[in-house]
Amino acid sequence: MLRLITPLFFIFAGVIYVVFTFNLPQAKIGDPNGPLYFPAVIGIFLLLMSIVYLFQEWKKRGEKMEKVRQLFTGRTPFLIIASLVLIFIYTFLFERIGFLYSTIIFLTGLLFVVNGRKQWIKNILIAVIFSFITWYSFAELLNVSLP
Amino acid sequence: MGVDFQHIVEGFMVAIKPINLFLIIIGGFLGTVVGMLPGLGPATAVAVLIPITFGMDPTSALILMATIYYGAMYGGSRSSILINTPGDGSAIAATFDGYPMAQKGQAGQALTISAIASLIGGLFAIIGFIVLAKPLAAFALEFGPAEYFLLFLFTLSAIVSLSIGNMVKGFISMSIGLVLSTVGVDLQSGVHRFTFDIPQLSEGVDFLVVIIGIYAVGEVFYNYISIDKLKKEKKKVGSKWITKEQWNQTKWPMLRNGPIGFLIGVLPGAGGSIASMLSYSTEKQLSKHPEKFGKGAIEGLAAPESSNNAASVGAFIPLLTMGVPGSGTTAVILGAVVMLGLRPGPLLFENNPEMVWTLVDSMFIGNIFLVILNILLVGLLVRILDTPPKVLYPLILVLAFIGTYTLSYSMIDFYILVIFGLIGLGMKLLDFPVAPLILAVIVGGDMEQNFRKSIVAQDNFLNVIVASPVTIALTILTILSICYPFFIGWLRKRKQKNT
Repeated sequence: MLRLITPLFFIFAGVIYVVFTFNLPQAKIGDPNGPLYFPAVIGIFLLLMSIVYLFQEWKKRGEKMEKVRQLFTGRTPFLIIASLVLIFIYTFLFERIGFLYSTIIFLTGLLFVVNGRKQWIKNILIAVIFSFITWYSFAELLNVSLP
Repeated sequence: MGVDFQHIVEGFMVAIKPINLFLIIIGGFLGTVVGMLPGLGPATAVAVLIPITFGMDPTSALILMATIYYGAMYGGSRSSILINTPGDGSAIAATFDGYPMAQKGQAGQALTISAIASLIGGLFAIIGFIVLAKPLAAFALEFGPAEYFLLFLFTLSAIVSLSIGNMVKGFISMSIGLVLSTVGVDLQSGVHRFTFDIPQLSEGVDFLVVIIGIYAVGEVFYNYISIDKLKKEKKKVGSKWITKEQWNQTKWPMLRNGPIGFLIGVLPGAGGSIASMLSYSTEKQLSKHPEKFGKGAIEGLAAPESSNNAASVGAFIPLLTMGVPGSGTTAVILGAVVMLGLRPGPLLFENNPEMVWTLVDSMFIGNIFLVILNILLVGLLVRILDTPPKVLYPLILVLAFIGTYTLSYSMIDFYILVIFGLIGLGMKLLDFPVAPLILAVIVGGDMEQNFRKSIVAQDNFLNVIVASPVTIALTILTILSICYPFFIGWLRKRKQKNT
């Protein structure tokens, strides 16, 4: 039954989009309904396709979703959640302590999580060197301003 | 009209400027490295490396992105041959005979022949480009809103029906892309659409963030699944010099499949994947020993390699002459080019001919450079392939964030990036093709504007379809492309019944 979640989600999203489309303010210039023609066509098309998709999945409702199952095996859930947490920290630090330091912290963290704790010297070295090279090439060579 | 030798020569002089030669080398090398990473292909390579084009003049940026693109195509075949993990669809056919060759200890020869085949395919396609591009651009000059709208419609339906797998999912993916393209202020009326009073959304969703999110963050997350399963294979590369017999076996397949790949690449929607698969099966049917295919037949490697590289050059034709990308990767390049303030389309050939021809000449130089890189430095590349993905995936993530930041200097984009990364992961897990979404996000705005203009000009939709011979032809092509999967399915069923 898990299979039906995605099509139902798309149907829900399609309905919301269509409702919002028909509630769009009218244009003051040109055709008053101009802004809504295109979204209306897409919204209805998305809705139709999602309903067909629901029927397709309904026929297969007994089958297992192999790829989705793989997501929850081994280290994968940990890797993704840990990456998300690190991204969140990175976002928080980025403009506060500057590009170079926050990137070193972010990359070291990622390497510890993904590459493992055993290779800590290598992880730190890679993080520092890579962060410095990117910082140097963006800020100095490409004149992109970084915090 | 016709071939413009003066511009080709002038373009060549620009292409061999030191800065551009340097970019070709850097782009080719970086593209090869990212393309070699298991699970990552040209679209990811270009998406992640977009930020390094900022601040460059558009010609150099275009050269760099093009070299990254076919560098990644070369790199993709390396990982197909050596570790049997293609980076994207267009490298799949290289695993059929390339990997068996590597298992037989002929990895070096397989790598050499794939590089030579790619070069031959690429050179063919460059000649094709020179002959075909200008007439096509002149033809596209006549296009009005109705033609453009239907051209976009055809491209989208072609990419949906040709993306391997479920068509309904492809159409949903496309619709989501179009939905995203409607967010923001409507250009014709100034009405705010789906912005929910968030000021950042009034300019719309930045498609480059969508691209980097899906192709870089999403792909890295998806590759986490197999990160511990990748086993290191220590393999002898063997001699990289091909024998005279091998050359004789492969020269015709390479020459035949260059033009095939080029023509498929020119078609909007069909790219390297289809070209290489078609070439593989054609070559198998032509072969006197079809039973050897799949067991390390060298012509089974040469044919798709020549074809997919030709397709990648061919794909630049619709991109540059009409502003319509034919594949996921060219869509990414279009996104980046638009960001640089260029409008690809027929006028590009009128206003900036030197840019177009510089690009073409740089492709010529780039292909030759990549062959040298891939044959002479084979040892170094194999060692890069040994660099664990566990180190390289985090680096790609970091690049994705830096790239996103340099787009708009806004932290909100970080969150949007992560959201699209997770959407990309979900799409991969549920087998939704990504290319229709990317293409739709990028062309959606143009498509809508042309749709509305053509309705105004022609009064109603039926008149839009019959506005000109071109619109009628495009409508027929659209219907054919939607029917094509059903036709193939019917053929397959009939074949099964017969056997």
